[in-house]
Amino acid sequence: MEIPFQIALWAVRIAFLLVLYLFLIRAFASLWRSLRTESELAARPALAYLVVQRSHAQGPRVGERMALRAVSSIGRDSGNDVVVNDEAASARHATLELADGSWWLEDQGSTNGTQLNGSRISRRERIRDGDVVDIGRIGLRFEVQGQAAPGAGAPVREAHA
Amino acid sequence: MFRGTELGLLIPVALLVALGSVAVIGAQTEKLTGSALVVPTAFIAIAVALHLFLVTTGSRGDQLLLPLALGLTAIGLVLVERLAPATLLVQQLTWTVVAAGAFVAATSIPRDLTVLARYKYTWALAGIALLVSPLIPGLGREINGARIWIGAGPVNFQPAEVVKVLLVIFFAAYLEEHRELLATPPRRIGPVPLPPLPYLVPIVLMWALAMGVMVLQKDLGATLIFFGIFLAMLYLATGRAAYSLAGLVMLLAGGWIAARVFEHVNARIVTWLEPFSDDLRFGAGYQLVQGLFALGNAGLLGAGLGNGMPERIPVVWSDFVFSAFTEETGFIGALALLALYLVLVFRGMAIALRAPTPFLQLLAGGLSFALAFQTLVIVSGNAKLIPLTGVTLPFLSYGGSSLVTNFVIVALLLRVSQVTARVRGA
Repeated sequence: MEIPFQIALWAVRIAFLLVLYLFLIRAFASLWRSLRTESELAARPALAYLVVQRSHAQGPRVGERMALRAVSSIGRDSGNDVVVNDEAASARHATLELADGSWWLEDQGSTNGTQLNGSRISRRERIRDGDVVDIGRIGLRFEVQGQAAPGAGAPVREAHA
Repeated sequence: MFRGTELGLLIPVALLVALGSVAVIGAQTEKLTGSALVVPTAFIAIAVALHLFLVTTGSRGDQLLLPLALGLTAIGLVLVERLAPATLLVQQLTWTVVAAGAFVAATSIPRDLTVLARYKYTWALAGIALLVSPLIPGLGREINGARIWIGAGPVNFQPAEVVKVLLVIFFAAYLEEHRELLATPPRRIGPVPLPPLPYLVPIVLMWALAMGVMVLQKDLGATLIFFGIFLAMLYLATGRAAYSLAGLVMLLAGGWIAARVFEHVNARIVTWLEPFSDDLRFGAGYQLVQGLFALGNAGLLGAGLGNGMPERIPVVWSDFVFSAFTEETGFIGALALLALYLVLVFRGMAIALRAPTPFLQLLAGGLSFALAFQTLVIVSGNAKLIPLTGVTLPFLSYGGSSLVTNFVIVALLLRVSQVTARVRGA
């Protein structure tokens, strides 16, 4: 084999390894960038809360503020993000979701229904700051934290909260 | 929507496949010819098509997943070109197109991922049916002594690969459903804590299933991977290491008994422990011994792509791609390769952490773990750290079922990240 060909082949082999590392470093850099943005977002306070307005002896304490995630489940079951301990509440009663910059309340096929500002909802309803959600005998006021811009991020949930 | 990060990462991927192919074909034909660019051109066309598909459908999903998967696939194609007969190369290119199609399909079907959770028992039954399908006469095929294939015409498929994904979907849905049990303290028999029934039953059933796969199908790799995925997801869902540790002890105990009772399991262990012994090194241990020589000869920089002797290892393109790649690119090549898997898995776990519902968290976490664990099992098998199993190195090994499944996994991870992006309005 000719010598120039051998040199060219080795150049290609070394270039292969260099490009492999170039790829790895660039992938690692984007990973690093998004992790930094993520930790900055995580440091911000929760976007919205449900504040207990009306309750009873077995239910949550009046005045308690329950922080909401971007998607929060509400129900009697202890696995929900917002636990509503009331016999009229279903295990998985409703969800509150931040999508496309607005908050939405949706009933999850509960037995006794979900009321938004006194009227029972049948489909996904937009919910605004100060609106009141009634589930069974429990009344919850929806509060948006400050005037948070859409996309400001939500608290990162612990792995098994 | 412009996906700049993804496009930027695809440039080194394109360079990688072109340089690799030129090096491999150059060493084989002893000249630099245009034919070395056939495989790279086909591959780059597939890569660009997938990127454009995500751009035109307005995907807001993660931008790192696709380039990482394609980068690993590019290395895989170069290695098949280097190691396998030409007919296998053509097959692998065809499978890459099929995998790209599966990726596209899985990004849009089903339209709503929660459908996966709703029909969980359907997936579980489909998984078990697929798992036993190689045992059906006429449909199942035995290749290299393992009856883990089904075939139709010239196409062979390894259903265990797909079963892996179905298992993850089922467990994600099942464990989400029984999440409320987290609050209840475990019952005790004397000093031994007993998991609640909805955890205990699947632990026992999965153990039985794993043992069945090991004994009946002689598929040690699938045993490890199925049970490993289950234990990891149980830990992700409950946060209780004790459940998973108990399962691990059960697996080891079962394996120990199986090694005593069943000759084929015992043979695997002996080959692993002493592949160099007189009666094994030219027999059952030959493949492992040659693989170890390949690793041993690698050194820091390796022999150079196309310049080593990995063809001495039998079926190197399937079980021993890692050893072959290491022999020719050395320690630094192997390090970069494993780091790429690490970035991919890390990305998947990050997607899992951010996902908005427990089902999506468990789904993304389980799929990422499956990728990580399979890589670990085959690489440690090649390095004689654990007994060698016939599982594929994700994206790199020759094999259609594996490639298609891995692209579906990446598509599902992408979709979970997309749901997160939509929910957060970011």
